[in-house]
Amino acid sequence: MSQNLIRFKGKREGISIYIKQGSFQDIKDELEAKIKKSKRFFKGAKVTEIAGIDGKDLTEEEKKEIEILVTKKYSMIIDESEAMNTENKENITQATKIKEVAPVTKSEEVEEDLEMELGHYEGLEEGNTKFIYTTIRSGQLIESDGNVVVIGDVNPGGEISAKGNIVVLGSVRGSTYAGNDGNKDAVVAAFRLSPTKLRIANLITIRPDNDDDVHTPREPEVARIYDDAIIIEPYLTKK
Amino acid sequence: MGEVIVVTSGKGGVGKTTTTSNIGIGLAMLGKSVVIVDADIGLRNLDVVMGLENRIVYDIVDVVEDNCRIKQALIKDKKFDHLFLLPAAQTKDKDAIAPEQMKNLSDELKGMFDYVIIDCPAGIEQGFKNAIVGADRALVVTTPEISAVRDADRIIGLLEANGLNSPKLIINRIKQDMVNRGDMMNIDDIIDILAIDLIGVVPDDEAIVISTNRGEPVIIEGKSMAGQAYLNISKRIMGEDVPLLNLDIEEGLISKLRKLFFGK
Repeated sequence: MSQNLIRFKGKREGISIYIKQGSFQDIKDELEAKIKKSKRFFKGAKVTEIAGIDGKDLTEEEKKEIEILVTKKYSMIIDESEAMNTENKENITQATKIKEVAPVTKSEEVEEDLEMELGHYEGLEEGNTKFIYTTIRSGQLIESDGNVVVIGDVNPGGEISAKGNIVVLGSVRGSTYAGNDGNKDAVVAAFRLSPTKLRIANLITIRPDNDDDVHTPREPEVARIYDDAIIIEPYLTKK
Repeated sequence: MGEVIVVTSGKGGVGKTTTTSNIGIGLAMLGKSVVIVDADIGLRNLDVVMGLENRIVYDIVDVVEDNCRIKQALIKDKKFDHLFLLPAAQTKDKDAIAPEQMKNLSDELKGMFDYVIIDCPAGIEQGFKNAIVGADRALVVTTPEISAVRDADRIIGLLEANGLNSPKLIINRIKQDMVNRGDMMNIDDIIDILAIDLIGVVPDDEAIVISTNRGEPVIIEGKSMAGQAYLNISKRIMGEDVPLLNLDIEEGLISKLRKLFFGK
């Protein structure tokens, strides 16, 4: 079996799969073998592009088959819309054509070659993370364009506002605002989540006025949006 | 070379001035040379609490403006020969002193005394900034009320931002019977939020009011619970390892005695 028919490229939007000239069976075998090698990395990964390179002309049927293979067997997600939007500003009708040409220009982009670093969780959209190694006290505001991790508490009157997720390795008694530019997938997690005010994207919850109504968390919890409401639940499975 | 300790709280009325005067005297009683500095310009109290109001000629603003020498402004205590007060000005406001001037003053006093205790004004403005600029250590005073704890938290954040790391906490005016009934925040609740080291707990004590009005800090007599608590804090400042007063047992003992004698 000839090797190196498949190349993966990791980008900000997701993974691109490039396929070289070869028999389709070999291609499938190699693809499976490579994915199997780093199963955990590929599981749930977003594929933004599947295309032929070096003269390989991927037919629609072949492409479909590969898509089915990676989605069904390795629970990857196909999402070509983003790749197209960001990669060419030209007419959408030309998209298929551009895709064939695209790999040639790709090499000039700054990107990681996943073949070199398979198994590392890099290259996907993780964003920046700000680490705070102290307690956030009253009157202190932490802002970040990415995620925030606090090694300490967030005291009443303290505030964290982040575009990404907020993780507190301690108690949250102040206010937190995750996904402050509208990211509804953002979460707030803490060892003891008992905030005065908690916001995610466009939703906001406040602490009940009556202290008796306040549930005292005994285990680590995560707050996230579910069905257009903020829910708070333990994230460790119960024993 | 001495040490500059600032007593601060954020919130007003929690007992900064009382704490400053008692700790000042406590350290003097333990044989140290001490100067207590009133940094609350415009609202001076420390002289009144110490009973030295009538002896003020020059004040801290006169010193930084070079109207007098530092020794002329220092007022010697009535009882202790190596305890001095540097009073605040009453007719000026907090902007009368710049942080650099305060820093220089602190450094100069540090060379003259073992301990320089600064009574910080309430708030987080100019007066607070002046008071902490020359400090080596900070004592944060709070009461078991949520508002005082919140302000103490803010103050600790500001102290840390200004390089005064790991300030020590004094919990003032705690009422053990209320704590036992669950009506007052207990020591653990407060420490849980503020997450700094405790240096002392002072019980709510009528003796404080009496002594303050007489201009004789409670520690001098030494019999009251509050007086003992302040003496213990003074010892801890000097590095002695003194266990916390057990307010609970004390309370229990009195009621036991009462039961024994009066059968109540």
